Amino acid sequence: MTGTSVDTDVAPERLPAPPGERRRGSSRALSLSGIAERYGLLLLLVAMTLVFASLPASGEAFRSTANIQAVLASQAVGLTVALALLFPMAAGSFDFSVGAVTATSSVVAAASVSHFGLPLPLALVLATASGALVGSVLGILVARYAMNPFIATLGMATLLGGAVFAYTNGLQISKDIPATLTDLGSLSWFGVPLIVLAAALIAVVVWFVMSHTPLGRHLFAVGSNASAARLVGLDVARVRFLSFALSGLVSGVAGVLLLARQGAATSDNGMNMLFPALTAVFLSTIVIDVGRPSVLGTVIGVLFVAVSISGLTLVGAPAWVSQVFNGAALLVAVGVAGISRARRGAGSAGLART
Amino acid sequence: MTEEPRSAEPRSPAAAVQLMNVGKTFDGVRVLRNLDFSVARGSVHALLGGNGSGKSTTLKILAGVYAADRGGTIAVHGRLHATDSYTASTARRSGLRFVHQDLGLVPDLTVSENFALEGGYPRLAGPAVSWRRLHRSTRQHLDRAHVDVDPRSLVRDLRPSDRTLVAIARALRDSDGGSHMTLVLDEPTASLPRHEAEILLEAIRGCQARGQTIVYVGHRLSEVLSIADRISVLRDGVLVADSPAADLDEAGIVTLMAGQTPATRGGEARRTAVGETVLKVDRLTAGPVRDVSLHVRQGEIVGVAGLLGSGRSTLLRAIFGQAGVEGGGIQVGGVPVAHRSAAAAMRCGIALVPEDRGADAAFPDLPLWENISATVIGRYWAGWRMARTTERRDSARLMRTFDVRAASPDVPFATLSGGNQQKAVLARWLRLDPRLLLLDEPTQGVDAMARADLHAAIREHVAKGNAALVVSSDFEELEALCHRVVVIRDGSCVAELAGAELTEAAVAGLTQIDRSKGPLT
Repeated sequence: MTGTSVDTDVAPERLPAPPGERRRGSSRALSLSGIAERYGLLLLLVAMTLVFASLPASGEAFRSTANIQAVLASQAVGLTVALALLFPMAAGSFDFSVGAVTATSSVVAAASVSHFGLPLPLALVLATASGALVGSVLGILVARYAMNPFIATLGMATLLGGAVFAYTNGLQISKDIPATLTDLGSLSWFGVPLIVLAAALIAVVVWFVMSHTPLGRHLFAVGSNASAARLVGLDVARVRFLSFALSGLVSGVAGVLLLARQGAATSDNGMNMLFPALTAVFLSTIVIDVGRPSVLGTVIGVLFVAVSISGLTLVGAPAWVSQVFNGAALLVAVGVAGISRARRGAGSAGLART
Repeated sequence: MTEEPRSAEPRSPAAAVQLMNVGKTFDGVRVLRNLDFSVARGSVHALLGGNGSGKSTTLKILAGVYAADRGGTIAVHGRLHATDSYTASTARRSGLRFVHQDLGLVPDLTVSENFALEGGYPRLAGPAVSWRRLHRSTRQHLDRAHVDVDPRSLVRDLRPSDRTLVAIARALRDSDGGSHMTLVLDEPTASLPRHEAEILLEAIRGCQARGQTIVYVGHRLSEVLSIADRISVLRDGVLVADSPAADLDEAGIVTLMAGQTPATRGGEARRTAVGETVLKVDRLTAGPVRDVSLHVRQGEIVGVAGLLGSGRSTLLRAIFGQAGVEGGGIQVGGVPVAHRSAAAAMRCGIALVPEDRGADAAFPDLPLWENISATVIGRYWAGWRMARTTERRDSARLMRTFDVRAASPDVPFATLSGGNQQKAVLARWLRLDPRLLLLDEPTQGVDAMARADLHAAIREHVAKGNAALVVSSDFEELEALCHRVVVIRDGSCVAELAGAELTEAAVAGLTQIDRSKGPLT
């Protein structure tokens, strides 16, 4: 017996109901607060869309096909970066390198065709592979050498930023980028920008891996409790390694999309892509499947931020609003996630010890 | 103690603490029912009970950590409180002081600084601390409690009994001799060697002689009998005895705590036939484990008894491939094994239910059904996607089999009570049908009913021709559950008990002999 304290206490309303009362308990999921918790962000997204679509100041422009296409297309790369971040986040590690890896692989793709004259398909494979390689290195550092992922990925991001700058000398690579690639960034198919379709395809693949493969379940198990995961027979180091390798792979693809969208690779270090991605992933933990990051939630999170910023810009908000909104959304998402976790009593809940 | 028990007329105003009709229900399970007892002013009142008896719940109610069920009354030093208005601050205001087993002292700070942690620092001017006044006031508090230590010494340098006394002196620092305060000591001797425990008990007797009321919770019956005026025994949430210590003896208390005579229960559990050897550990050395040999046969539940740090958990972890083996061998089903991972151990048909559920078994934020299928995720890979519907349905079926009570399979694991969590963890492992089940403190922090269910599930699994190795610091549990018990001390096997020899008292005695340099008397 120990002098354990309050944290083992369980609020009565959270205690599972005895068999006779189960029906009442299960209907809780349909209660008003349950709906607000699960679909709050989605409802807010719908509300934002309706408000901006009907406000006189922004309505007409906001509703225009061009604006909708622009909003969606501008978020394709951001969504892909956020999807890359999902893997390590599900496995319980931060990955601050996704933006830098994206920027790096776009430089790799551009340099391959522009400086080395390689055929486009090979350049794209190289770009994606470079992302996967960086992710694998991080995976080895974190999984094998037990480096703190926070520090390892931040260090890698800084290193890549410097390397890109050294290679590009601060100049962008825009010469000879094939039109085949830039078309992907600018053309539409039945009104839907191709790049949006590409991002959606990646989202579906990531969703499948996360929700419908054993690997996805392993990621969440390790993220929930690595020690317990090890004791139920999972290879925790392998799962951690794969989370970073997959993150690098998807970031590499995001780099290709970035090049397609911009038509040039800049010497930017990519850190400005990191925080919108973090925001989206954190927003995903407070919608639908509350408490865990998800692909659908990430899509909703990205759209929520994009719609809000686009609308605010159209009603004449100054340019700094986007940064403030992103930061505020990240803080609110983390805060709400923390509160809802505390409310659901994650961490510890036990009966009286005697 | 031979001192004449004070006449504690249950409803007398002389009672320092009095519980009337106090109960507690968790998860629809009444863990404490209609508790009525009173602690006479100036007496040492011992509260006894095994794991799951409700003893700890009672203490937490007294401390205001748990709110007792509506309808009871708690009186402290003459002031009545309804159970639903009784909180931690009520407890403190009315003069209850708790000293827990872990003492709450910071070893790297001085005695004075540890006092200041609770009482604050006296100031010289502005924010500047007056160390002289702090040491002087600490000195006074220590003197009043007759504790002879230097306020300037580091707590880590004190002998163990003195640390406890410092904690007691700190708890009583705002008392004026103890007349309006009651000190609650929660297993104060549990981690002390025997001679240190003796010193501490002597000091507690001194406290009492100066008029201090003390509620004493302990496991070592000889100590309890030597110090208590009155003894209350809890079993399954009911007060089964409340009488002067002079009227009780050790055997009587054991019987009261166990509810029935141990021999019958043990005998019933020990009748199963046994078959081939499933596990053979031969001179195993791993970490604190030294040269341990044991075997477990089909249909057999073997217990491992030992104190914390005796190597009992390392033994299980080594068998499960989680601790480096430095020497000796492990055979499972006659085949030597040297697995280095849980996955490899699982392929040999071994399962481990770890000691610390929160740290090593729970996926707290994941739904219950995913927790139950954590060991078999790969099985539901249907070639192109996870068969989630089947997986969830199988988990729901196991919930019924193991009587895991939850609103639905989708609730987060953390929202379950300890007993239901443990049942889910056991279900996760038994679904693999392991031939060797390793259990580390299988019913720790579990209520009495869940405990009975867990024991039944373990027995049923073993009766199918499997084997189990159980580590428990609850020797009553070992006696009730096991066919044989191996006692480990300082990493080595010192004894094996079976049949009529296997009693809680015998196990307890063997685990502790080296600390006392002779059996407890």
